[in-house]
Amino acid sequence: MKIVVCIKQVPASNDAKIDPETKRIIREGQKAIMNPFDTYALEEGVRMKEKYGGEVIALTMGPPKAEAVLREAISAGADRGILLSDRVFGGSDTWATSYALARAIEKIGDVDLVICGKQAIDGDTAQVGPGIASHLDWMQATYVMAVDSIEDNNITVKRMHEDGYDVCELRLPAVLTVVKDINTPRVPTLKGRLAAQKSEIPVLKPEDIGADPDKLGLNGSPTRVVKTQPPEPRQTDTLRIEGSPRECAQALVRELKFRGLV
Amino acid sequence: MRYHIENKVYHVEILPPKQDSENLERDLDVFAEKYTRVMDSGYCACITDNAMGHLSFQGTEMIEELGLPVLPEQVMIHLNTFHTREDLDNILSYCVEKGIKYLLVVSGDGSERLPRLKPSDIGVQGTESITSVELLQYITREYPGKFVLGVAFNPYEPEDHEFAKLKRKLWAGASFIITQPIIEKNAVVDKLIAEYPDVPVIVEAWMSKKLHLLSDAVGYTIPENTEYDPIATLKLLHQAYPKNGFYLSLLGFKTQYDLIRDLWV
Repeated sequence: MKIVVCIKQVPASNDAKIDPETKRIIREGQKAIMNPFDTYALEEGVRMKEKYGGEVIALTMGPPKAEAVLREAISAGADRGILLSDRVFGGSDTWATSYALARAIEKIGDVDLVICGKQAIDGDTAQVGPGIASHLDWMQATYVMAVDSIEDNNITVKRMHEDGYDVCELRLPAVLTVVKDINTPRVPTLKGRLAAQKSEIPVLKPEDIGADPDKLGLNGSPTRVVKTQPPEPRQTDTLRIEGSPRECAQALVRELKFRGLV
Repeated sequence: MRYHIENKVYHVEILPPKQDSENLERDLDVFAEKYTRVMDSGYCACITDNAMGHLSFQGTEMIEELGLPVLPEQVMIHLNTFHTREDLDNILSYCVEKGIKYLLVVSGDGSERLPRLKPSDIGVQGTESITSVELLQYITREYPGKFVLGVAFNPYEPEDHEFAKLKRKLWAGASFIITQPIIEKNAVVDKLIAEYPDVPVIVEAWMSKKLHLLSDAVGYTIPENTEYDPIATLKLLHQAYPKNGFYLSLLGFKTQYDLIRDLWV
């Protein structure tokens, strides 16, 4: 199987700051991590490769420093990484982003399966996975919590919803977005990390993937961010309870009741 | 472990590089340098396992990838419950292969990114989660006679509870004890030593000048500006515990290492 896992570099959630002018997240100088949901997508892709054979390609779009998440993906089991990076991609909304990723997937060729995290923790839209499927005109299943089987060019998955799950069968090629119930991502090994540091990461521009520049960036984005605000910081305080075990337990219950937590 | 105490072998804690290291080559070099120095000194290198829940590389993979020598009396691997069964067995098998016999078995702090052993992974029934007790049982059952197993003892926890836990750990196969860091003679540690005269007790000495970092362990806030002299404390602990071993946490290799050489007399 040839599996593409789409990953995104996002600011570590506690560090998010918004540019008041552009309403966009300030990424410069921020600690960046792999979008947590994408780690589950990557793990699932690597597990499929281990079970069925083939190749896992990590794909991302972003500034040059986004290369770091591709190396992280390689250290966690991806065979190679591809970075889409060019000024023309800058400012893309989810539609333009998914268009660019879809063109890259076509360029890679013979891809059987695309796996994405259910959403990125910076935008929280959950639109890019479905957008890729739409641009490629492939079948898709979102919120996948388990992959049951892959047989005869069909993949059977469990799709999570509020009341349980649906069992869905999709014809390959297809796009999945996954939730974190699907697996426990492995921790990269030192061997993997060292190998990843030596990997060549090709950087592709719009012309390399046959993308129409008019469909990229701000020009290619039908949506506009009108207003963005950082969330209110969570209030944390520590209450130390002292006394005998019985006194502590009583005080704890009192406190929890007072706060309406029990 | 008696050998370590009788031969004044310090247990020197070494933290492997973190997974998110921004300069891995440098951090690997530093680790190798510290490890080699501990070996050359005849001390025991104690390699932590994702200490404080910080994602770090494993001690065994550090030794393997860096080609570090293993002297069986001089290496101790910490092992916690935050592993998959496969990873756990890989670590244990590697230790057997390389002759690493000392393991400090702890429950561990964990992290969202770390998988935790499930009871079904290691054939345990009737419990919701795996602690160091179940992990000890698993190691003694699956790797009989291969390891000398140690456990942690926390003198800052409620005493009855901690002693009851220790009893279960010893029953499960532990044969030596390492305390949480203490900075003076400690009544609970004294009681521990008195209650278990046949079990080697290694006293952990806090070697960082930043005493406030101990706040979480001791359960109360230590002000950041608290003055603390780790070397003087170590001397004091040697006087207080002349028949015990010593585990040095956060030892400064640049400023303190040469100073500890003649302390244990």
